[in-house]
Amino acid sequence: MLLPLHSSVSLISLFPLYWNTQNIHPQPSFIPSLTKSPLTTTIFSLLQKKKKKDNKKLTMDLKMDQPRFVIPSTEAQLLAQSSGLSSVTDVLPTLVPTAQSLARPPISKFPVAAVGAGKSGRIFIGVNLEFPGLPFHHTIHAEQFLVANLLLNSEPSLVSFAVSAAPCGHCRQFLQELPNATDLKILITNQTNPNFSPLSQFLNHRFGPRDLLPDSVPLLLEPHNHGLSLPNKFNSNDSDLKLAVAALEAANASHAPYSASPSGVAVMDCEGKVYRGSYIESAAYNPSLGPLQAAIVAYVAGGGGGYERIVAAVLVEKESALVKQEHTARLLLNAISPSCDFKALICSPKNGE
Amino acid sequence: MDRPGFVIEPIEAQPTAQSLASLVDSTRALARPPISNFRVAAVGVGSSGRIYVGVNLEFPGLPLHHSVHAEQFLVTNLLLNGETSLTSFAVSAAPCGHCRQFLQELRDSENIQILITSDNNEEFTSLSDFLPHRFGPLDLFPEGSLFLLETRNNGLSLTTRTRMNHGDEDENLRSNNGVVCNGHGPVVDDEKLKIAALEAANASHAPYSGSPSGVALVDCDGKVYKGSYMESAAFNPSLGPVQAALVAFVAGGGGGYDGIVGAVLVEKEGGPVRQEETARLLMRSISVKYAGDEVRTQVH
Repeated sequence: MLLPLHSSVSLISLFPLYWNTQNIHPQPSFIPSLTKSPLTTTIFSLLQKKKKKDNKKLTMDLKMDQPRFVIPSTEAQLLAQSSGLSSVTDVLPTLVPTAQSLARPPISKFPVAAVGAGKSGRIFIGVNLEFPGLPFHHTIHAEQFLVANLLLNSEPSLVSFAVSAAPCGHCRQFLQELPNATDLKILITNQTNPNFSPLSQFLNHRFGPRDLLPDSVPLLLEPHNHGLSLPNKFNSNDSDLKLAVAALEAANASHAPYSASPSGVAVMDCEGKVYRGSYIESAAYNPSLGPLQAAIVAYVAGGGGGYERIVAAVLVEKESALVKQEHTARLLLNAISPSCDFKALICSPKNGE
Repeated sequence: MDRPGFVIEPIEAQPTAQSLASLVDSTRALARPPISNFRVAAVGVGSSGRIYVGVNLEFPGLPLHHSVHAEQFLVTNLLLNGETSLTSFAVSAAPCGHCRQFLQELRDSENIQILITSDNNEEFTSLSDFLPHRFGPLDLFPEGSLFLLETRNNGLSLTTRTRMNHGDEDENLRSNNGVVCNGHGPVVDDEKLKIAALEAANASHAPYSGSPSGVALVDCDGKVYKGSYMESAAFNPSLGPVQAALVAFVAGGGGGYDGIVGAVLVEKEGGPVRQEETARLLMRSISVKYAGDEVRTQVH
């Protein structure tokens, strides 16, 4: 190791390091202080391993690439093992400082990261995003980003997460949409003696989904399909269709049991890559996450770069829905990418229910 | 029996749990939740000892973040009536996390006593029990800053010229001096509305953005209602200025929203938070008679 650990962390915070090495499986021996320092664990976790055929000594290449918001389960396990930690859960707090550097809070300058473990064994990252020039309700909290990231990746359950600051009441409420809300384990890294405590301790005597919904209605992350389809007379070129189909899929997966107003947004960047997000409603209404917000989460988590690279967007929602997103989505889009092309599509269930 | 209004002079020196709970029962009918039909009332005691009512308001056709919770209505009602603190309140359902967070903007919020009437007991619990390990104002603003409800004056004043929104010009906006008229009601003095909106902006709690704002509404009888933007340290639970003015409208016995014929927003220009387009969206959604005569005014 040639660089002091501290300076490495700030570099890594944005870009993974590529290690040129003959051995793609990291062993404790080549990162000497791995078991002792949480910082080395942090560095390790964002590594993208690259196999080199030629026999080179251990060197360090800096390569500009995308930060990662999902760590596969095998890698998560390796992280735990090589850090001498007993489980993936224990790794979560060590990833928080680096993840904070991925946050985009230009208004408060208060970066928050939430690093969570899914039931599948994957690790997910969430960070806060703020949007100047708009009211505060457009803000995305790290915990909301985390949950939207899970939904995007079809993760069936959030088991635990570590977060850099106490979750606010808005987030504690948003998290109630999850089926295991009472048991969800949370650790706050800036506390004096951080430990995992269940969400029920952070929001006791809760107001939640079952105060408004019968038991038969699925909760967040459980399968949803609203059966919407594109209008028959939808004429389009290929990229429009690609966006529309993605937005439709997102709308069909959205969690909107309180208003029966499913919606989804898909955005496309200047390279033609598509990112989609589903509307996620809260029983307490105001903490709901808009579909464009969810698509922006997908964009940031997908390595999307600056918002001005978003060139096109499509919103899918139902006609005469109790909750309509179009004008609000347009407002946000105008603020972050003024030249973006935006279309709102009204879709209905197939059999005209 | 007449329904109580939104401000009640106390009969006894210290309102009991029972009296607050029975007021909650009778005021739920004043709530306006056409989306959920889930009526909530919150009845609380201000620093003066007077009793205030809050109810929830929902706005179909718009994203749910426009909703006003009963607890937010209650706090807005306190601000409107010059109260500087909230001692206790009874509410018909457990306050949600959004409200528990919003209430953190009040000084000594941890000691606010809360009674949940659906629990069928007479126990008050401190807000600190409902939101342990809180995230609050002191995480973001320095000690010595003003909390919500404390008397303030943001020191804004109107510039001599009125600047319309840049970008797409709304053809309903008039530039003739001082008169707001949309053809649906009596001609209203634009100056009166602007002054009311400015007063509301000067009372606005916006320490996180530095972008205070206020809205004044006028109904077809010429009555003016004003509301101040109130920010939350957690950002999203912030209450918009139109919402605050609608609270004043409902609490002032304003009737249906389509009785509102004009509105003015005053906000500080160039800040990180901007209300104008969102305010316009909400106004157009709730009042068909409102023809978009909202005037955005530059302030210093």
